[in-house]
Amino acid sequence: MNLFKGYSPNEIKKAKIAYLCILPALLFLLLVRAVPIVSVFIKSFTNWDGLYKNDFVGLKNYKQLFSSGMFINLFKNNMYLLLSVPLQVIIGLVVAVLLYEHIPGWQVYRAIFYVPQIISLVILGYLFKTMFGLEGPINQMLTNIGLGNVACDWLLNRETALPVMVFCITWYSIGWQTIVILGGMASIDTSVFEASRLDGASFWDRTFKIVLPMIVSVISYCIVMAVIWTLTNMFALIYSMTGGGPGYETMTLDYFIYDKAFEGGNQLGYACAVSVILLLVVLIITAIELKISNKAEEKWG
Amino acid sequence: MRNKSFGFIIGRVIIILILTILAVSFLYPIFYMFNNSLKSLTEYYISPFAIFNLAAPKWDNFTAMITQFKIIKLLRNSFIVSFFTVVVLIFAGTLASYAFAKIKFPAHDAVYLSFLVTLFVPAQVTMIPMYINFAKVGLVNNWTGVVIANVAMFLPETVMLMTAQFKGIPNEIIEAATIDGCSFFGRLRNVVIPMGWPAISLTIIFFFINSWNDLFTPMIMLKSMDKRTVMVALNQLIGRFTGNPPFQFAGLVLAALPAIIVYIFLQKSIVNGMSMGAIK
Repeated sequence: MNLFKGYSPNEIKKAKIAYLCILPALLFLLLVRAVPIVSVFIKSFTNWDGLYKNDFVGLKNYKQLFSSGMFINLFKNNMYLLLSVPLQVIIGLVVAVLLYEHIPGWQVYRAIFYVPQIISLVILGYLFKTMFGLEGPINQMLTNIGLGNVACDWLLNRETALPVMVFCITWYSIGWQTIVILGGMASIDTSVFEASRLDGASFWDRTFKIVLPMIVSVISYCIVMAVIWTLTNMFALIYSMTGGGPGYETMTLDYFIYDKAFEGGNQLGYACAVSVILLLVVLIITAIELKISNKAEEKWG
Repeated sequence: MRNKSFGFIIGRVIIILILTILAVSFLYPIFYMFNNSLKSLTEYYISPFAIFNLAAPKWDNFTAMITQFKIIKLLRNSFIVSFFTVVVLIFAGTLASYAFAKIKFPAHDAVYLSFLVTLFVPAQVTMIPMYINFAKVGLVNNWTGVVIANVAMFLPETVMLMTAQFKGIPNEIIEAATIDGCSFFGRLRNVVIPMGWPAISLTIIFFFINSWNDLFTPMIMLKSMDKRTVMVALNQLIGRFTGNPPFQFAGLVLAALPAIIVYIFLQKSIVNGMSMGAIK
């Protein structure tokens, strides 16, 4: 066995300790995260219901997902919610640039912008549901300023439900974007920045010629994280705001898995097929993103 | 000085104005929730925007939450789950990160990468087999199951954050401790934990709040009412008090309060830690 090729006896002893150190974490990830991926893949070809049925049905589940038009509908909603990503990154970037001017009290502003992130999306979901409800404050405000005809039940309306959710996700995420982008800006050499300021470079010159080119990698990191998060962490918000409705209008792939497996009639085999597709969607989108961000960093970074 | 020119001052005023408008828009919905939780139903329907009656705030809403809805028990359940999640997470995370950061061993990079890859696997994808497996070994409908699931979800980010921090500990200090006769756990306790404390404390705060706020895992895993965490029970709360928003708001406030209090006291280390950008 040449696993420890080139290792001294002392190093071999240390390496063995390292394996022991990693073991607990490895077991968690193996048993709770890795093995289930294999099972999901296998079960996606069955009519598993968790109780009696567990027969091989070939590609039936996948065919059902695609031929019923369900996949396109759910995927479309996932993509729609992703509209929040450019919004939150751009607004977060603008806010970070403003905070970077270090006006008096900027740390207080920074702390306030992060507050939504501290509160559970379940709570915020119920709060927004009330605010955008038929008799909620949003409609009252609209009526007060003479726009009563715009007032509607925002979340029960297919045209308005998704835009309202994009708004909420953006509102929730700006603080995170701001803080991470600002953290990236902190690594910019302040002497360069101050020198340009003393030379009389305008706010716009400083921002576009010095700050932005230096934080390309931070911004691409922010985009990658926000996309993954929006694709996979919307459960609590959808559950509390719309429950995926009206109909399937605000349901996403990840919520659909829950709906089929735990809410509606034990269609575990079908839900496993959706899981496999969701995993593929996430991996493909992330791979594309990483490729683009590498290119962007080569070019500007 | 050209810095104090008229344009400069105007610029500053505009910046302050924009930031203040944003700050208000971030705080208003939360203020709205607090404000209306202290009103009677009539007061709420007269105007949800008016400030609650300062002379006679409606504490009844909160007493109802405590006596009728038994929210204290739910908060306790949430605390138990979050507390043990963090304890196990720190134990497994610190050990693994120390190995990744400071010890040379075969397949180091492959193992580290396989840890990080699980970050890209959505919780929903692995939930069905996990639930079935947990049911087989009696981990469904008990807190241990939720803790195990949470730890597995939070480990990749924890290891990423801690490994980065531990790498910054100078090897000489660890070697010096070894020469001084420090055992393996002695080195962890006397060198690694104190010097890696920024990452460890951020992990504690961040993932305590995260598991406090989580809905999906505890909702799937906990079936009986007396085991449920507060976030799972909010569904019942909203359903039971439909038509009485002040009651609902009082419940939401109580559920949000612990995380808000943690944030108020530890705001600085959270914001500074998040600036490193390693976790979301």
